[in-house]
Amino acid sequence: MSTEVGARRSLWTRGRFWVIAGVAVAIVVIILMLVRGIADVAGRPFAADDAGPAGSRALAQVLQGRGVDVRIVDTLAEATSAVGDGQGATLLLIDADGLLDASQLRRAGALAESTVVVAPGFEALDALATGVRSGGAPKRDSLDARCSLRPATQAGSITAGTRTLSSTDDAWTGCFPDGGNRYGVLQATDGGHTTTLIADGALLRNDTITSRGDAALALGVLGTQPRLVWYLPTLADVAVAGKPTVAELTPGWVTPVLLLAAAVFLAAAVWRGRRFGPLVVENLPVVVRAGETTEGRARLYARNSARLRAADALRIGAIGRIASQLGLPRAADVDQICLSAASVTRTAPDAIRGVLLTDEPTTDAALVALSDRLAALERAVREATSTSAPPPSRRMDP
Amino acid sequence: MVVTGRFVTFVAVGVVPVVVFGALAPSAAGPVLVAWLLLCIAVVVVDALLAPRPSTLKLSRVLPARVRLGESVTAELVVTNTGRRRLRGVLRDAWQPSAGASLSRQGIDLPGGERRMLTLRLTPLRRGERRVEFVVVRSLGPLGIAGRQARIDAPGRIRVLPPFTSRKHLPSRLARLRELDGRTAVMVRGQGTEFDSLREYVRGDDVRSIDWRATARQGSPVDAPQRLMVRTWRPERDRRVVIVVDSARTSAARVDDEPRIDTAFEASLLLAALASHAGDRVDLLVWDRRVRGRVQGAAGAELLSRMVDAMAPIEPELIEADWAGVPALVRQAASGHALVVLITSIEAPGAASGMLAMLPQLTRRHRVLVASVTDPTALRSVGDRHDLEGVYRAASAERALLDVARVSAAIRRLGADVVTGSPADLPPALADRYIALKAAGQL
Repeated sequence: MSTEVGARRSLWTRGRFWVIAGVAVAIVVIILMLVRGIADVAGRPFAADDAGPAGSRALAQVLQGRGVDVRIVDTLAEATSAVGDGQGATLLLIDADGLLDASQLRRAGALAESTVVVAPGFEALDALATGVRSGGAPKRDSLDARCSLRPATQAGSITAGTRTLSSTDDAWTGCFPDGGNRYGVLQATDGGHTTTLIADGALLRNDTITSRGDAALALGVLGTQPRLVWYLPTLADVAVAGKPTVAELTPGWVTPVLLLAAAVFLAAAVWRGRRFGPLVVENLPVVVRAGETTEGRARLYARNSARLRAADALRIGAIGRIASQLGLPRAADVDQICLSAASVTRTAPDAIRGVLLTDEPTTDAALVALSDRLAALERAVREATSTSAPPPSRRMDP
Repeated sequence: MVVTGRFVTFVAVGVVPVVVFGALAPSAAGPVLVAWLLLCIAVVVVDALLAPRPSTLKLSRVLPARVRLGESVTAELVVTNTGRRRLRGVLRDAWQPSAGASLSRQGIDLPGGERRMLTLRLTPLRRGERRVEFVVVRSLGPLGIAGRQARIDAPGRIRVLPPFTSRKHLPSRLARLRELDGRTAVMVRGQGTEFDSLREYVRGDDVRSIDWRATARQGSPVDAPQRLMVRTWRPERDRRVVIVVDSARTSAARVDDEPRIDTAFEASLLLAALASHAGDRVDLLVWDRRVRGRVQGAAGAELLSRMVDAMAPIEPELIEADWAGVPALVRQAASGHALVVLITSIEAPGAASGMLAMLPQLTRRHRVLVASVTDPTALRSVGDRHDLEGVYRAASAERALLDVARVSAAIRRLGADVVTGSPADLPPALADRYIALKAAGQL
């Protein structure tokens, strides 16, 4: 049984490092996940699969529930293949970061039967909506439809958000006016191809879609066709051109050389880490210092402030030595020793009685002082007896 | 299988082809790297396979049987290559660390069928049996890049004897022993002395030893003064000395960085050397709950060699001594009167109660001497009390000294004698007490 315990303990001793390392890694991973989770809690803006406040999963799921085939794409190439020939498809283009250039925007705009551009930037307006400009911030909180577009009339009124679009071109039908040719939504139809511009993206977001007629407008605009291609441009769309990147500047052999360095490191680890045969076992004797019990007892005295006990121990030792200095028998009683010590050192017997017998040290300082007095008394007796002894004669015979 | 530093260099050299081919054609660098690593692995495998098998080595040892602690000996290892191929590599002789081997590894270069002797200086650090169980051989391939490694059993042992440093006290004690011998008449005649011879008085002889009857028998020559005859005495001989060394719990404690049991061995070796010179018969018993070592019936030089041999492997046992068994052991060793020397530790009264209970059985028949190592730090700390901590430590040391004094008094009351001393002082103190007893004829 004891060997089993020993084996288990040795297993624990050997595996302890790995267990602790594993727990540490798990803790770090959990912390990272929590931190990331907190950072990501707002969500990726307008992502159809993001349930955070900035995402748009609510809208995408409702559309899907209504039978619209929602496809999420990240690049223009994917969008092209998802749209197919363009019949019966809506392309939702939200290029919030302005990643696409003019030609890409034009290509995207021509893909589908219906194109919805949310929060278009300057480049997008330039490429897709001739005659439309940015209209600045709206003056009101909510905008009313006031147009004949079906989704707009169904919505009634929408949240104004932070942007409007302005147009004087007759080709564009403006809805949700803010006065002075500024609108919340613009739509143009050009030979069976509809382009809808929504000035502010707030009506797609999970957190604001429920206010006023936002949801109705979004569903109405995006749900006109059986297929919806949800296109959020990513860095993959950025045209590679112009300045070379670091990766292009480094020669092709750098990565293999780094790998080779790792291999050299590994080889060196194997070379130095290979043990030259098993370890030699040797039983070593226990080391017990003889003074340990004495030290332990001293600390016990100190912790409990056993001053009287300590003083008594010192006194017993001192009395024994003084008695042998004075030549008194082993059985001599303390009073006798006090008297003869007093007579030898020419001090008052009461003082010596106090040192050797009666004084009780009540403070630490008193204990140290008593110890010093004991030592002084011993010294005095020793000096008195050694000087009082007759000088040794140097010659055996006269 | 093992690889060497050369292998690491070989892998690192791969940077040349990788950079050259990579500079010529950027896409070639990756495949060249892979090819180089495969080449490295292939070279290692081939080199390791070409290395001769270490198990073709036959090993034998030439070891001295014993060495005194503190001295060095040469350990020889004879390595024979029974194979036909030359074996180059490194050999590790796996001695225990406290055997104090001078080299842990040695290079070997052994053509097929030949034999070499490898030597090693051993300077043991501890008393006892120092062992070696195996040898590890690394045999390298022809390129020196990789090799094979194997462990070959080659057991060996060397017995490390107690140092017997107290033998420096032996000459002076032997001189004093000779003074006791019959060559002088100065010594006091006692119960245990034996009549040796009559001889003529010389100046300096004790007048009390003049044998008037023998002087009268000499008659009075006419032309010469009366010749005075003195009797000479020699100390008793052929007495028995039984040394009992306590190897229990308390003997493990270190005093002045020497375990009590080592001091006990030193003291018993000095006493045994002295007593065997004086013509007494010495028996040694090492005891805790059973007999750990026993030397009986040896004399002269054989006695000491048998004693150190018996002592060498004995380590303190962490158990309480069983003193009740000692009287029977002593009776086995010496049926009649003997000097029984118990080398133990006198500490707290509680710990000594077993010995105190047993002592009367010994003192009834024998003269008993209890020897104990005292801790000189206790005496030092009694004097050093300048602060509160020092005062408490001094008080504790006084208490410990008082305990020792009480146990010593109890031992004396039971009819035994006590010898104490620091580790350096105990062996000569015990020898002196033996000489005093011998001089007084009290053995």
